[in-house]
Amino acid sequence: MRVAISYPPIVNDLGQVAMVSQNRNVQYFVAPTYLLPVVHAQAATWLRDLGHEIYWDDGNAQGKSFDQWHRDLLAWKPQMVILESTTPVMKFYWRLIERLKKEMPDCILVLTGYHSMRRPDETMKECPVDIVLRSNHVDFVLRELVPFIAGHPNWRTSCKVDGLEIRESADRWRSTGTFKQVQPLDLSPDVDRDLVQWKSYAYENGNYLRTPGTYATSVIRDCTFGKCIFCRYNGPDLTFSTRSIEKSLDEYERLIEQYGVREIFDDSGVWYRGQQARQFCEGIIKRGLHKRGCYFGINTRFAYLDEETIRLMGEANFRFVLLGLEACDDATLEHLNKGYHVEDVRENLEWFTKYGMHPHLTVMVGYYWQTQEQLDKSVATVRELMFKGLARTLQVTLCTPLDFTPYHMECIEKGVLLTNDYNDFDMSKLIVKTPIPHERYYEAIRQMYGVAFHPKFILRQLAFLASGHARDWEFLFSYGWRALRRVRQHVFNLTKARELTPPK
Amino acid sequence: MSGNIAVNLKPKVIHVRDLTARCYVLRVERLGMSFRAGQSITLGVRRMRVNREYTIYSGEQDNFFDVLIRDIQDGIVSPALRRCAPGEELECAGPYGSFVIEKPEDTSRRHLFVATGTGIAPFHAMARTHPNLNYRLLHGVRLLEERYDMADYANYVACVTGEQVGDFRGRVTDYLKQHPTDPQTICYLCGNGKMLSEAYDILRGQGVPSDQLHVEAFF
Repeated sequence: MRVAISYPPIVNDLGQVAMVSQNRNVQYFVAPTYLLPVVHAQAATWLRDLGHEIYWDDGNAQGKSFDQWHRDLLAWKPQMVILESTTPVMKFYWRLIERLKKEMPDCILVLTGYHSMRRPDETMKECPVDIVLRSNHVDFVLRELVPFIAGHPNWRTSCKVDGLEIRESADRWRSTGTFKQVQPLDLSPDVDRDLVQWKSYAYENGNYLRTPGTYATSVIRDCTFGKCIFCRYNGPDLTFSTRSIEKSLDEYERLIEQYGVREIFDDSGVWYRGQQARQFCEGIIKRGLHKRGCYFGINTRFAYLDEETIRLMGEANFRFVLLGLEACDDATLEHLNKGYHVEDVRENLEWFTKYGMHPHLTVMVGYYWQTQEQLDKSVATVRELMFKGLARTLQVTLCTPLDFTPYHMECIEKGVLLTNDYNDFDMSKLIVKTPIPHERYYEAIRQMYGVAFHPKFILRQLAFLASGHARDWEFLFSYGWRALRRVRQHVFNLTKARELTPPK
Repeated sequence: MSGNIAVNLKPKVIHVRDLTARCYVLRVERLGMSFRAGQSITLGVRRMRVNREYTIYSGEQDNFFDVLIRDIQDGIVSPALRRCAPGEELECAGPYGSFVIEKPEDTSRRHLFVATGTGIAPFHAMARTHPNLNYRLLHGVRLLEERYDMADYANYVACVTGEQVGDFRGRVTDYLKQHPTDPQTICYLCGNGKMLSEAYDILRGQGVPSDQLHVEAFF
């Protein structure tokens, strides 16, 4: 079959592009950040290996306008188009599917993504999509679905592949049951870098200190912890699974040797921990990959990695460590099911910085229960951690309920949502009732981002130069301006973007 | 979702009960935390700043928490917890998870529990909490000594691979192939990834709908 895996550019009236894909909270940015959708890239590779013709069609990363993307897709004449969506752009996708169906009536349109996965009926009613995937394991489902459709003209009524909502006629559709990811993750192939035009994603990513950078094929699908209520990696339909360490090490070696990659980030919900983490680091060191001028980065959690493991990570040339610091009061951490205490944070960060890593904090504000006192704690703690050099960079966002996560469901049940218009769920404004005025949360964000311009922070960065680590010089002189650009973008979004009109 | 709200507690250790050289039961104060059988908590030694998730092994009516722990060689948390003395305070949070029995009061619903090793923990909690539950438990172990607290189950089948004894000689997956499952059965699987994958395929092949298959990856 001729299969297109497509990401249309979605541009709002301010010229900002929506960043969609893989457990991302959609935000609109002018300054681009191109993130490889790893699971869809694995699906593309797998389908290609099975003999299907693949059109890797990321209009954002390929720098296309919507019209150019649209023209190119129609000209390629796909038999199947696979799209990925999420709450803030659902309406855009429903209208797009309507349009594509009129233009290519014989083409099978498939929608993936967490919103439609958890509410397939809604999407079936709202647009003429042919199939909704009820699983985020897109690669495992598609590798069964596409060959089945290719070999069965009556697939609409005969297909029994798990994890699908299939349209049988204009007003009738059926479910094939839930999909459980129980097959070994090693079955899914490493991403074919050439197929997905990896260089499109290698430079414009604010988290890379060195370029070209790339995302590894994730070692963990979903999340080992999987309990945080605001996260999509949470639910009875998700079963985390891991890749073998050796297979991942082989990929790292290939990326460095064959592609000249200088920074590799693993975007697994939460990376290995304990024994597996140590074995991975030992493998990097044994293969000499830590001396090849390539940094490594991961997502992890507080209270997950012990000091010995972190020491090994430092030795293995890990640099960027992304940690969710969603709040700085225990009541909120409990409510969010974070599974750690505020007092764990400082010591964990001390370990990371002691062994040369650059912790990046992802902070959230604007929970429907968050008081001024709790908000002040977040601001004070984050500023202190940044001033002390225990964290190097941060991202602060408005906690936005979406994709029917437990937090989203709780907001619906408690009646605190201020809007039902999915276009409003784009993180540019608070959409829940809160105990204090919304402006206080926006101000808190500005205060936290303001750290980047504070003399204490700048002096701390200069002090790091004395350590003699190349990464500290790179951080200040090559990464610094990019970080400032991102800060300006976030602050801009909190001043102008609240007046956004819906995407076209 | 479970319906339970997670809380952070600092329970004290009551005792450690060794089961084998590599496995033990840690009993800690419950401190009023509510949970549903099959859910987990995080536990860590105070000021260690690292914790791990463990499925609760005790029943909903017990006034303590038991957790069944495999002592990981070269591990950090599991050996530290084993060394804890009675009275030592731990870090605990939870409960978490949705691997629970949907209608435990309905004794007409047949359940099949399939576990390997310490993946038996949620089923111990379920069996203890719901004594009238209609179930069969398949437990894959290498050695007979790994049949942890087998007397606590009403319908327990040990599938033993490392010794020429036991209820069934072979893997749980061999047992499933030789004893086809009624497609009406509600199945719960907890254990290592290889077993989960194979058992899932076998049960699907025997006609059990995917909506009736509940899976908890064990690590």
